[in-house]
Amino acid sequence: MNGATGSATLDRVSAGGTGVDDGTPLVALVGPPNSGKSTLFNHLTGLRQRVANYPGVTVERRSGIANLPAGPVELIDLPGVHGLSPRSLDQMVTRDVLLGEIEGGRQPDAIVLVLDATRLKSHLMVAEPVLAVGIPTLVVLTMADELDRREGTVRCSRLSDELGVEVALVNARDVGTLHPVHAFLDALHTGGEQVRACPIVSAAEHGEERGSGRALPVIDVFAGRRQRAGELGRAAAFQAPRPSRSTQRIDALVLHRVWGPVVFAAVVAIVFQSIFTWAVPLMDATEAAIATSGRYLGGVLPAGWFRSLLLDGVWAGVGSVMVFLPQILILFFFIAILEDSGYMARAAVIADRLMHRVGLQGKSFLPLLSAYACAVPAIMSARTVEAERDRIATIFVAPFMTCSARLPVYALLIAAFIPAGPLLGPFLGVRAGVLIGLYLLGVVAAIGTAALLKRTLLRGRSAPFVMELPPYRLPTARSILTRLLDRTKVFLRRAGKIILTVTVVLWVLTQFPRTPVGEAPVIGDSALGQIGQVIEPAIEPLGFDWRIGIGLVTSLAAREVIVGTLGTIYGVESAEEDAFELQAALQQDLDLGAAVALLVFFVFALQCMSTVAIMRRETGGWRWPILQFCYMLVLAYAGAWVANAVL
Amino acid sequence: MKRRRDTADTPADRMLADVPLQEEVVLVRIDVAGDDVEPLLERGIVPGCKLCPIRHAPAGGPTVYRVDGELVALRKETASCLCVRSSLEAAGVLDSN
Repeated sequence: MNGATGSATLDRVSAGGTGVDDGTPLVALVGPPNSGKSTLFNHLTGLRQRVANYPGVTVERRSGIANLPAGPVELIDLPGVHGLSPRSLDQMVTRDVLLGEIEGGRQPDAIVLVLDATRLKSHLMVAEPVLAVGIPTLVVLTMADELDRREGTVRCSRLSDELGVEVALVNARDVGTLHPVHAFLDALHTGGEQVRACPIVSAAEHGEERGSGRALPVIDVFAGRRQRAGELGRAAAFQAPRPSRSTQRIDALVLHRVWGPVVFAAVVAIVFQSIFTWAVPLMDATEAAIATSGRYLGGVLPAGWFRSLLLDGVWAGVGSVMVFLPQILILFFFIAILEDSGYMARAAVIADRLMHRVGLQGKSFLPLLSAYACAVPAIMSARTVEAERDRIATIFVAPFMTCSARLPVYALLIAAFIPAGPLLGPFLGVRAGVLIGLYLLGVVAAIGTAALLKRTLLRGRSAPFVMELPPYRLPTARSILTRLLDRTKVFLRRAGKIILTVTVVLWVLTQFPRTPVGEAPVIGDSALGQIGQVIEPAIEPLGFDWRIGIGLVTSLAAREVIVGTLGTIYGVESAEEDAFELQAALQQDLDLGAAVALLVFFVFALQCMSTVAIMRRETGGWRWPILQFCYMLVLAYAGAWVANAVL
Repeated sequence: MKRRRDTADTPADRMLADVPLQEEVVLVRIDVAGDDVEPLLERGIVPGCKLCPIRHAPAGGPTVYRVDGELVALRKETASCLCVRSSLEAAGVLDSN
């Protein structure tokens, strides 16, 4: 899965293991999805990895250093691709990296092409365009153990003779089998014979994507490629493994007419249960840690503007976001398990029928599930949805899923305005019922929006749904931990940039203009208060006053910011250092109708700068993000108005 | 699904969506337009490949096919655009007349 970076998408490729020519050999890892490429990458680089983005695009650039006897080698793990045609963003970036045409990068010194030995026949089709790049290449056939277990065979030396490059059969999970890969990388320093120039395969000859024009219709190009892949396989004495029995057995259950949907529902239920229940102790602990450290700092630092900025601005603001880290990590933990095990592809198959009916498709399931943590990684993972119209529709509706940034707002308002009590006897309380209702409202909005889009802007014939079902595999702790570590880094970067900026700006706006005696003004007189009063008339019909207005404005940066903002506003106003009676303060300012209106507003509105930024990059312009922002704002305003008018 | 066996008057070509479970066929033509065809081709669904429907997803969802030994799920509407021939015919055994 591709990850989120939010503001980190602005990262530039900089020196220090990022493709700048400092003499360290650069090697690109290429291969089809699920070929074991990332497992190999993790084994070769350990934790010496960094994730950035290619300039201008949101495709992640995962790079790391492999230390070999003769010196270090920089590896880049490219996205899984089936070819190098510019059909998808991933394939375009892979092609540009291999040809050295990516902005701010250089052409790799060598390629490690990773293919799944158990699926050699189709994976060899990728070899042709990759070898046509013409730089030294090592072909690594992974899953040696599985090939052996399922009684398949391949003769690497013969395949090597046919391809004209080194071929190694390894088990990417077993470091003991990786010797040929180490030797190849080491030879980049020593000039060993493993690194021989790739025999020049003329790309144009095959009507390839690189050159000018296509000589042959695309079907013929692939038919030719498959035929040559078949010939290569025969020459290498490739004996396809027998079908995996365990995969057959598991599929019989998870794709079963009755049990399939039951397993699917159980998986979704477990994921949600974990986000909402199991994450709570971790979130409480994080919150306590932030509060304790804040109090400690408050005691150590002298009173003054710096302490105020650090504690009321930075600590409160960044802390309010850090609280979500456990929840996001738990969600990504499950996503990693579901993806690595092979179940996610089956879930997409199960979900396809339903999602197709509302104008999406099975592959939209993973992005929409991720969107319950955060829309940013969700929008990026929508790249796996190959059909462009489906991808745009998925991206467009993803922000309607209740991301974790909405939770603190929901929690605050529900606790303040919704009485505790039973709704369905002992099974469901009123508050939980309201929370579920807000989630459902988001889902209904998403379904309606997708259906609307498919009848208007994204009208057209639906593209084919082609879903590979990889064999089931046991996920490794190493792979999952690496992914969680990635997510943590990305999340902290986001918290560190956007949220920090907003909270600091907000804090400054509460400090000016200074009173005649040089003190911070009363909140109503501050620059922030004045802004709030300007927008008050616009939100009055919803039952909101200027304080909520300021919260809405600041929450445009990120939804959860409103909690901190209201804390600042009411806290500053009452001038009580430990005024954490935000709920009581809100109860005085809002009636039930206005509180529900505010909840509804948060269900619909696109208050997230990161999402808008990622939308722009993923859709290649401002059209979709502007449309989405306005659409969601209108929906939010109308919904809130109705809620306030009815209640 | 009941297994169907067409006999002597088997029309040479059928659509993949009409092939019963567990019957292996060979792809002869793809009637999918423009760019939409590439995702199929990249996964080895090219004329000449062997296809065998092995499982229907619940509630009219996609069908899982074995494509040259690998599993790929396709919707019925996509399978209706793939023209196939039984593997025996494709091998020329029944093509002598």
